[in-house]
Order: sequence, then C-alpha cells, then structure tokens
Amino acid sequence: MSQQKTKRGEIDLPVRLKDSKRQKTGVYFRKKVGWLFIIVSIIAITIFNFYPMVQAFLLSFQSGMGANLEYVGFDNWRRLFGDPTFIAALTNTSIYLLIQVPLMIVLALFFSVLLNDPNLKFRGFFRIAIFLPCVTSLVAYSVIFKYLFGVDGIINLFLLNFGIISEAINFLADPVWAKVVIILAITWRWTGYNMIFYLAALQNVDKSIYEAARMDGANAIQQFFQITVPMLKPIILFTSITSTIGTLQIFDEVVNITNGGPGNATLSISQYIYNLSFEYTPDFGYASTVSYVIVILVIILSIIQFRVAGEKK
Amino acid sequence: MKKFYLMLMLVVGMVVLAACSSGDEEASEDSGSEGSSSVDTITAWAWDPAFNIAALEKAKEAYDGDGEYEVEVIENAQDDIIQKLNTGLSSGTTKGMPNIVLIEDYRAQSFLQAYPDSFYPLTDVINSEDFAEYKIATTSYDGEQYGVPFDTGVAGLYVRTDYLEEAGYTVEDVTNITWDEYIEIGKSVKEATGKNMLTMDPNDLAPIRMMIQTNGSWYVDEDGSTPNIAENETLVKAFETYKKMMEADITKVVSDWSQFVGAFNSGDVASVPTGNWITPSVKQAAEQSGQWAVVPMPRLDMDGAVNASNLGGSSWYVLNVDGKEEAADFMLNTFGSNPDLYQTLVKDIGAIGTYSAAAEGDAFAAEDEFFNGQTIIADFSKWTEEIPGVNYGLHTYAIEDILVTGMQDYLNGTELETVLENVQGQAEAQLK
Amino acid sequence: MKNLKRIFIYTFLSLAAIVSIFPFLWMLVSITNKSVDVTQGRLLPGTHLIENMKTLFATVDIVPALMNSAIIAIISTILTLLFASLAGYGFEIHRSRGKDIVFTVLLLSMMIPFAAIMVPLYRMFGSISETAPLIGIDSLGAVILPTATTAFFIFFFRQNTKMFPKDLVEAGRIDGLSELGVFFRVYMPTMKTTYAAAAIISFMNSWNNYLWPLVILQSPEKRTIPLLISNLGSSYSPDYGVIMSAIVIATLPTALVFFLMQKHFVAGMMGSVKG
Repeated sequence: MSQQKTKRGEIDLPVRLKDSKRQKTGVYFRKKVGWLFIIVSIIAITIFNFYPMVQAFLLSFQSGMGANLEYVGFDNWRRLFGDPTFIAALTNTSIYLLIQVPLMIVLALFFSVLLNDPNLKFRGFFRIAIFLPCVTSLVAYSVIFKYLFGVDGIINLFLLNFGIISEAINFLADPVWAKVVIILAITWRWTGYNMIFYLAALQNVDKSIYEAARMDGANAIQQFFQITVPMLKPIILFTSITSTIGTLQIFDEVVNITNGGPGNATLSISQYIYNLSFEYTPDFGYASTVSYVIVILVIILSIIQFRVAGEKK
Repeated sequence: MKKFYLMLMLVVGMVVLAACSSGDEEASEDSGSEGSSSVDTITAWAWDPAFNIAALEKAKEAYDGDGEYEVEVIENAQDDIIQKLNTGLSSGTTKGMPNIVLIEDYRAQSFLQAYPDSFYPLTDVINSEDFAEYKIATTSYDGEQYGVPFDTGVAGLYVRTDYLEEAGYTVEDVTNITWDEYIEIGKSVKEATGKNMLTMDPNDLAPIRMMIQTNGSWYVDEDGSTPNIAENETLVKAFETYKKMMEADITKVVSDWSQFVGAFNSGDVASVPTGNWITPSVKQAAEQSGQWAVVPMPRLDMDGAVNASNLGGSSWYVLNVDGKEEAADFMLNTFGSNPDLYQTLVKDIGAIGTYSAAAEGDAFAAEDEFFNGQTIIADFSKWTEEIPGVNYGLHTYAIEDILVTGMQDYLNGTELETVLENVQGQAEAQLK
Repeated sequence: MKNLKRIFIYTFLSLAAIVSIFPFLWMLVSITNKSVDVTQGRLLPGTHLIENMKTLFATVDIVPALMNSAIIAIISTILTLLFASLAGYGFEIHRSRGKDIVFTVLLLSMMIPFAAIMVPLYRMFGSISETAPLIGIDSLGAVILPTATTAFFIFFFRQNTKMFPKDLVEAGRIDGLSELGVFFRVYMPTMKTTYAAAAIISFMNSWNNYLWPLVILQSPEKRTIPLLISNLGSSYSPDYGVIMSAIVIATLPTALVFFLMQKHFVAGMMGSVKG
C-alpha cells in the first residue's frame, strides 16, 4: 500500500500542483469506483454461495431421514467425534493432503520452468502431454490405474521381473498401498492443471532480472530459488490454497479407483458426505455437519498459508 | 491484438445466437408440456436401455386402458436417479420430478420412509397377491403398497460345464449344494484346470447378502432398522464360509465391475454366483456358447436354508405429483395386470418379472442355445417363488460399508465375535 | 556438462509425457475395440471403430448434448473471465481495508463441498422456476449462474494482478483514460496469458461439471455431455467400446481449447532462462 502511494505521488506530482482540489475528488471517486469493479461478483457469490452456505449451516444442527428433519442442537457435532467412519475419512484425507499437495506443487513448478524455456524443443507437445491427464476421463484413467496396479498388472510384472519384490503386491487391497495409489493418481491428474497457472504467471516475470542474475553468476538452480519462486509467490500461494481445498474435497479419484476401500482405508471426507446424503438413507443434517468440518479445516490451513507467504500485514 | 478481439467478438456472437435459439426452444416446450393437474404427458425414469427402459417401451405398446396421455420414458443412470430424487424430494420442489420411477429394492424403504408424503399409495390399484411374495415386504410400508414389483433379482450359479467336466463333475453335482460343498468342488476344479472358481471384490459383500438370504436373514431385524449383526447366527455362518472361500485359494480378486465381467468373459473363472440380470453379459462372449449352465444358488449349511436367493431387483413407484392418477392407471394396465406383457418382456429383452400368473406362458419355457438348451427363464422363475422374503429395511448399504471393514479385520485374524460386536456397536451408534 | 543436463531434461520430460499420455492413448485405442476387449485391458488397436461410432450415434443424441455443453461452457467462461478479472483487478488496484475484508469473506465460499449446498441451491432455483423459467429448474441458465462468478477465479486474478506493473495504471490515467478504460485498454491486453490460463481452466471445469447439471436439468434434450456418458455406463451390461467412444469425443474440445490457448504462454524472447 505504502509503496503504491509513493509511486502514485511521484507521477501525480505535476497534476496535483495544477489542480489539487480536482485530484482529491478524483481519489475519492476512484475509491468508490473500486467497489463498482467487484459489486457484481459480491452479489452473485452472496446469492449462489453464501445464502446456501448459511442454510447448510442451519442444517448442521438438524437431523433425520430425508425430509423429516428436526433440530437436535449439537448432537451432530457430538456424533462426529464418536463416529469411526468419519475419523477414518478425516485421517485418510489428512494423509493425502500432507503428502500430495507439496509433492504436486513442487512438480508443477518444476515442469512449468522447464516448459517455459524458449530453447526447449517440442515445447508445445510436452505441455499438452502433461496437461492431458486432467482432461482424460476419470473412467479411462481409473480403469488404467486399476490395471496398472492390479495383482497381475504391469507394475507388479515390472517389479517381479527386476527382482525388486518376490511376490506380487495386491496394491488395491492393501490399506497402505491403496492410499499410495490414490496419492499417485491425484498427483498424476492435477500436476498439469497447476502447471498452467505457473506457466501463465511466468510471463509476467521481468526477463531482465534473470539477465542481471546471470551476470552475477547465478546458476539455474539459484535463479529458480532466488528469482522464480519469490516472484511467483502470489501464484504459489493461490495454487497451494486451492489445491488444499481440492484435496480436502477429493472425491472422484477415490470413488472411481478404490471406492473408499479396502474397508475404509481410502475413504475421503467428501465421499462420506456423499454417502450420507445419497448412498445411505439420507441424513442431510449430519452430512452438513461433516461438510463444515472441511470448511473449518480449510480456514485454518489457509490462514497458515497466508501467514507463511507473508501476505497479511 | 486485433485477432484477439476478433475472436472474442466471434465467440460472443456465437453465444448470443446459441442463447437465442435455445431460448426459443424452451419457450415452445413450456407451452407444450405444462398443463393443469390433469396432465397429458407423464414421465418415467429408469436406467438400462437394454432392460428396464426397454420394458417401459414395451409397456407403452401393451397398454390397454382408456387413459389419454403420453408416456415419456427418460433414461437416467441409477446413481443419478438417486441423487435427483433425493435433491428434489428433500427440497420440497416437485417441479421436474417424474411420475413413475424405478427404485432398487434395497433402497426402497429408505425413500418411502424419508419422504413419506412424496409417494402415491397403490394399495387399491394393484393386487399385491399377484406378485412373488418376497417382493412385497420391500415395496410396501406402513400397511400401504407403494411399489409395483418389477424384475426379480433371483440369483443363480452360472457354471462352466467344460471346466467342471475336466475336474470330473457333472451339472447335477453342483445342483442344490451347500456353499461348503461348493468350496470343495472349487478346489478340485482349480487343481484340474488351474482356473479359479469365482471372482471376489473385497469391497462388495454381495456374496454375503445372497448367502444370508438363503436362510431368510438380513443385516437388520424385522422392523427394518435395528441392526442385527452380533447375534445373527446366519451372518456368522456366512462370514465363516466367506473366509473359508478366501483361504481355499479358489478366488480371483477383482476391484470393479469391468474386471468382474472381464474375468468370466475371458474364461478365467469356472462359475459366477450372482443375479439373473448378468445373463446378457455372460452371453457377450459368444464363443463360449454351449459351455454354460445355470443351477440354483448354493445354500448356507444350516437348517432352514434353501437353494434360492436374490441379488438386486427393482420396482416401480408413483410419485405424489400432478399426473399421479394417470401414472397409477398406466401401471395398473401394464405391469399390474397384463401377463402378456411379461411374455413379451422375457421374449424380447430377457427381463424376468415377478408377476406370478405370467410364469405359465410359452416364453418362459423357451430353450436357450447358449446354455445348452436349458430353459433358464422357467428355472429362474421357479426359484423366484422359493426366495425367502426378508425386509431389507433402511440401512443395507450403510451397514455393509461398516461390515466391509469388519470383514477385512476378520480375514486378517481378528476373532469373528469381536468383529461382529464391533460392527453392531458402530451401526447402532451411526443409525439412530 | 551442458549436454548432460539437456539429456537429463529431455529424458525426464519424455518419461513424464509417456506416463501422462498413456491412459489417453489407451482411451483412443479402446474406441477401436469391442467391449469384451476393453474390459480385458487390450492395448492394441482393433477394428471395431466404425461399429462403436455407429452404435453410439444410434443409441444417444450426442450432438445436442455437445451443443448444450458448448453453450454452457462458453457463456460461463466469458462471464467468469469478465467478472472475475474485474473483481480481481478491483480488489488489488483499488485496494482498501474494507475490500480486503470482503475479499477474505469471499474466499470462504470456495471452502464448502458442493454437495452440502446443493439442496438449498436447488430449492432456491425451484422457487423462481415459475416466475423466471429461463433461469429456473431445467434451464441452461440455472446451470450457468452459480458457476459464472466464483471466488476461485477472483482469487486467481487478484494474485496475478499483484504481479501486474502498477505504473501502467497510472500511465493510463494520465493519458486520460477512465477507470474502466484503464481496465479494458491497459490491463486486459497486458494480462493476456492470465486470461488464457483462466479460460482453459474455466472451460474445463464447466465442460466437466457433473453434479449440479445433473440435479438441475431434467429433460433429456438439455443434457450435457457428462450426464450422457453417465447414462451410457449405467446399464447392467455396459458396452465399454461405445462408452470410450463417447468419452473421447467429449474430451477433444477441452484438449483443443488448451491447445489454442497455450500458444499465449510464449516465453519472453529476450532474456529468458537459458539451460
């Protein structure tokens, strides 16, 4: 803010000398104009998101089958902590989050820097190749993943042939391996997606900074950490928050690849919400309560991420 | 830069055009379909174009009442129907809801109890005694008949006769057997042919469901909501049998539907114990014609268990919205009273209904070349009458999700008693 | 040394490309195979392509579904780009304490799973269906509206605006441009790549959106592509060859949009990183 002011001050100087009064009303007017830029979005988001969110919040204090809801106070919230299925879903989702998000962000950054190099041959091909997973249909890729990681799948064949393992691993029926497969699947699917944001943002980085750094003898890795990462900080913050939200709400991959199994070993919170609403006898009240757990988690994690990125003053 | 704006304008132009044309469409549609409470079009939702959608089309042709209305058949995936119904009914908005909807029997009680005023009672419309007895418990609620029973989920044991022969068995040897005998046969088949006896999906307890129904038992008590797990001797027996099967090394593990179908299509397994609706998938592998037979479902080795069970199956329901009288009239004059329709259904789409009077017709006695001339339809409908009736109640899938975890623990060595008590406790806590 | 690094980079990228493309290729191969072969994971092309396509076009109305999806995706992308960039710009360039608070609150709206707000949202559209059928239940308008402005893209544009050289705004003002003029004449052209990225993502999200169109659309002629594919897979004996054909057709537009838009991600010519 302060930086902006001084800049504006410098440039505005001649104008202000001429007619300081007009300039003042101009600034005032500009402040109002600022609201005009955002007003449509505020109204739309209030109607289509906040209003239903409030309704959902009220629902979280109700319980019952389908349309027969009644207020139960904090019962749903109490029920949460004694619900082993919820605890399992929460644990699984947290594991996905902790491992998958950092892994994906780093990979995406790495790809985007490599694919931003104008001297790289087949750049367009590599870009579309790495982007393709996020448009490849879930059906196709879940079938593929199941075959790759099946007992007689390619991965097992490979590992057996090279003597890395002596007996085929039943990846999808093992609680730990199944989680690994899910993490790989999410990463595989969404790395290209995040790469797009970085590729776009890299265009806004002033190229002369790199020139100067190279003059100073900085190598590629130093340039990456000392220029690219700091310059892309706003976008890295954006992707890490949205990826956190995405992973906390992960649903498609789990449903299509393991359907939550074996047992509840890969069940995610979103899948549980879905089950409570549609798979079992519907209890929209309790489902809302579980949803708000996600909201609370995202809020906490976002505050942490904003703090780490040093956004808030 | 100019190109960019040009493209933008082009796109905007396209969109405006598209929006206008689709707007026109909408206007004309609205004036056509929206009438007063007496409607001239009713809609029906179902999910399989080769099966229940086709059945609806046949029903339209067979309709012999004097109602003057159109029936529009709309295809929606089964999961999609569940989501749409839940969203629509719980929001209290009836706009867009169908008049007739097909619901799987395991889920019927949930819908009937969760949205009590949303379904139209058919007690005075159809005669529930005309249908297979076991279907009535699931399609009625609180003394009222709501559903028109449709297809049977009667289960059978599909066997590869050539593999059995190789191991020295005949079809008679696998007819009316217990699951324990089945496992023993499975072992010899594996020894002789190297093929597994069946596929198993660790996330799907359909085999358990079929096993316990042979003894008239379910996951819940007769009231349809109290979990009946820990004290359920039938369930204990089923779990033991399941584990025995896994340990006998006669199962091929699969993790989804396409692998399940793939396994028997490619001849990897010697038998498929499942619902009769799998027949078209089995026949898909045309080169295996003449190598299959269907025998009654194995029973649990307990007193009272019978060689007949069920998996899936569904029924028609009429929603309490404008057009319900017409919808009820349609149901009465088709699935509710027309034995000839059921003949057509069997002949043309292989759908076996549960309308008892229909079973005498010729179509049911037809021989199937693929199954070596066996009269599989007649066999299935005979077994249908023997299926023990159980009240599936409200929580089949909720309890099963807990049971799946329990099964894993049990297979990994936890005492069965502990496992089931655990499941009972969890289910009671969760299903208040 | 330099060559070694090149070799490493190309090997790494090629591996990543193979891993990424493999399921996509399998998808392409599958449309030429019979259902039985697809379920058995056959990796070689077959001869069933024409038959699959014939069955597909005979059993479902894929063209109207493509049209519906295209209308929804295009309108919703344009609205998203416009409103989100306006808001993102407003929040960053006309920054104030009040707006920062509003912004934080807006972010909250991304955090709840959609399944949780679906029923209230449905009820809302149900209540306006009689008075405004163009945006009521079973209208394309109702599909577009909730997705046309999202905090996600506002956040995205705001973060990108942080990297936008603010001097340009001032320069524009001095040139006598109005506030909106600065936005349209200065900001928009400068941020072309940001718009390209947002367009790709927005188009893709909208094209693949499933749950909301599913519940809000009722009549078959208004179905979008994902709904149509969901139906194909739901029969007791699904034909996987045909399903894959539909999926491939449904995937191509997004791939195409990406391909067209990614050309804007051209690395600066002059002083960019050299390997």
